[in-house]
Amino acid sequence: MAEITYRQALHDALRDELLRDENVFLMGEEIGVFEGSYKITAGLLKEFGPKRVVDTPICENGFVGMATGAAMLGLRPIVEIMTINFIMLAMDEIVNHAAKIYYMFGGQCPIPLVIRTPGGGGQQLSATHSQNLEVWFAHVPGLKVVAPSTPADAKGLLRSSVRDNNPVIFLENLALYNVKGEVDEGDYTVPIGSAKVTKEGKDVTVISYSRMAAVALDVARRLEEENKLSVEVVDLRSLRPLDHETIVNSVKKTNRAIVFEEDWRSFGIGAEIAATLQEEAFDFLDAPIKRVASLEVPLPYSKSLERAALTGAKQLMEAIDELTPRRRR
Amino acid sequence: MSEVNMPRLSDTMQEGTISRWLKKQGDEIKKGDILAEIETDKATMELEAYDAGILEEILVQEGETVPIGQVVAKIGNGSATQKKVPPAATQRGSKAEAAPNGDKTEKGDAVPAQVDEPQKESTGTQRKGAGTEESNGKGIETEESIVQSKSTGREESGSRSESAGREESDGSRMVKASPLARHMAEEHGIDLHQLQGTGPGGRIVRDDIEDYLEQQEKTPAATPAKASAPTTPAQELPVPTSAPSSLPTDTEAIPLSRVQTIIARRLAESKQTIPHFYVSSEVDMTDALAMRQALNASAGDEGIKVSVNDLIVKACALALEKFPEVNSSFKDGQFLRHKQIHIGIAVDVPSGLVVPVIRDANIKGVRSIARESKALIEKARANKLSPNDLEGGTFSVSNLGMMDVTDFIAVINPPQAAILAVASTRKHFVPIDGQPVIRDLMSMTMSSDHRIIYGATVAHFLQEVKRLLQSPYNVLG
Repeated sequence: MAEITYRQALHDALRDELLRDENVFLMGEEIGVFEGSYKITAGLLKEFGPKRVVDTPICENGFVGMATGAAMLGLRPIVEIMTINFIMLAMDEIVNHAAKIYYMFGGQCPIPLVIRTPGGGGQQLSATHSQNLEVWFAHVPGLKVVAPSTPADAKGLLRSSVRDNNPVIFLENLALYNVKGEVDEGDYTVPIGSAKVTKEGKDVTVISYSRMAAVALDVARRLEEENKLSVEVVDLRSLRPLDHETIVNSVKKTNRAIVFEEDWRSFGIGAEIAATLQEEAFDFLDAPIKRVASLEVPLPYSKSLERAALTGAKQLMEAIDELTPRRRR
Repeated sequence: MSEVNMPRLSDTMQEGTISRWLKKQGDEIKKGDILAEIETDKATMELEAYDAGILEEILVQEGETVPIGQVVAKIGNGSATQKKVPPAATQRGSKAEAAPNGDKTEKGDAVPAQVDEPQKESTGTQRKGAGTEESNGKGIETEESIVQSKSTGREESGSRSESAGREESDGSRMVKASPLARHMAEEHGIDLHQLQGTGPGGRIVRDDIEDYLEQQEKTPAATPAKASAPTTPAQELPVPTSAPSSLPTDTEAIPLSRVQTIIARRLAESKQTIPHFYVSSEVDMTDALAMRQALNASAGDEGIKVSVNDLIVKACALALEKFPEVNSSFKDGQFLRHKQIHIGIAVDVPSGLVVPVIRDANIKGVRSIARESKALIEKARANKLSPNDLEGGTFSVSNLGMMDVTDFIAVINPPQAAILAVASTRKHFVPIDGQPVIRDLMSMTMSSDHRIIYGATVAHFLQEVKRLLQSPYNVLG
């Protein structure tokens, strides 16, 4: 066990996979010579050379298409999209090709492609560079979408993603890169499609993923110390496939649920979770499911406005306060 | 004030006849009470109250037929039954649509009923004036109200607010409770009407149930008495809604399920109101059993096995063809003689007793009957019977033969006129040509409605059943 950052965990997982399987290679803008915009790929060009760590031109549709082709022919590309905001240019390659080739060509060639990309706001990068678009991909059959919140899960899920034979969107978050956590040294993996109860509780369940799962855990711990509220936190870790069993079991226990997400509220992950819960745990619900999400505006540049628009610990605490049953207060 | 509409009870139903009101004006109604029996093109079914309150007005009398959606009665807080409708005063605004909105604003139970009453009444009369076009336009009972309340965008009171929340000062509106609270209430046999919700908008939540249970533990005797005393109409069969207080500790009170409540009511009603009389007969089943054995042997392992009951059903159906007066009902002082012969078979299920129906049994072969009854029994045991499976019987057979009974008497399944109770087949010595011979004898007893059938008819009918079963190849015809 060592305490490392989320960034380090990703880096280590990439390096391990490059060492483990010679078919694995990296592609992306500025990942080689510049060592990555967020330094995830630092040192890898030097160690593995330009055939394994490929700097690409600024054309997402081109290199995601190229990676898809490489995957069809048996390589295992790991593409870095600098932030999720640029992924729009490669939508056609991802949704129309990578997600469908295995199906449309009679299962002849799987697409073992990983697209790593950070989302999230709060860095004063303004409206076009601060988005959370994971739900677009979680909507598409043929893709898998994972969104770890801790260094340990990041490492385990990245390994699983590289070894999976389907295209995986691996969602990172700008504000998580420096977060530290204990990480096992062995070659462990975290299964795709498995959520995790990161804190047990009995009064209310908070369901979240990526950075907000970390915030939720923080808030839950604080509330337990201060107010003796017992908040259960479920970190989804994977958005597609979604682990129904874990969230349903949690809500069967607490009877009340909040979905806490950084993306916009309408048609979001929260909507999907709420629908799932009412389908599978209707008789266990004691209150409508709450969605705590960011305001539905293009994210402002101004620091104070940005803070006002993004959801966070404060909004979650208010929601928990509203939702916690009277007798448990 | 909530309106009770003629419900759509089957896909093909266009209109329904109120065959009988089970409640009268001024009666206190609980949610789920059966208000009336409705005769449709298919069957007689029950009209259930979706709201609690006082049955203020019966707008469609027994025997009258109205299209679906039409208002047949009104449930309110009772003041309208004492006070007569003040004329005119259309303060509510001229459009009918104004009414729901107007009501919505006054959500509080604090609104004094007295002040509000004339206004509501005027809305009522107006609605009546607007007449059928409104009720037709309304489509089918609550579906319309769901749409309406949604479109006015009121989240809190949910889908029923329109139909239920019309008269809110009287507690007649639907109880708002979380799914969990409903679940818990059901588990503990708590009537949600007794509770005051403390959740958002007065919703009953887990907290309230837990409060109630705690309180009940502390004062086991006082609470239920206080809560339920004023609401139980005397003539209703008592349906326990909360843990009875005065039971000895070694006795457990088990609340009746919905089905059991209906069974209890209908059977009591049958035995109390129908003048039953009984005629028994003994049938020599030796040949029938031999024929059945031959039939089943020839069907092979995979084939459908014909049961003794299937032969009896077929024999009854053929006998009913010959004696159509047995295949009839007594309703509203008249004979209803049914042309089709649909035979109900009593099936024992965990929740009580159900009587699914084999249609046109007289024109079906015994194998078809066997196949159908097998399927119906399986569905019954799995609690999967549809209303369609249960509708429309014109005669019933109840068979306890497999359970070694010498004899028994069944209660008529209304509105049918008769039911045949079939006991076990047993070996007896029978004198034949002065010699004792072992034969398989089966006893059967028919219970009949003496208002429409008489002893001789039943005797002839049973003779025919007996004749058919004793020369059993007749039932194959």
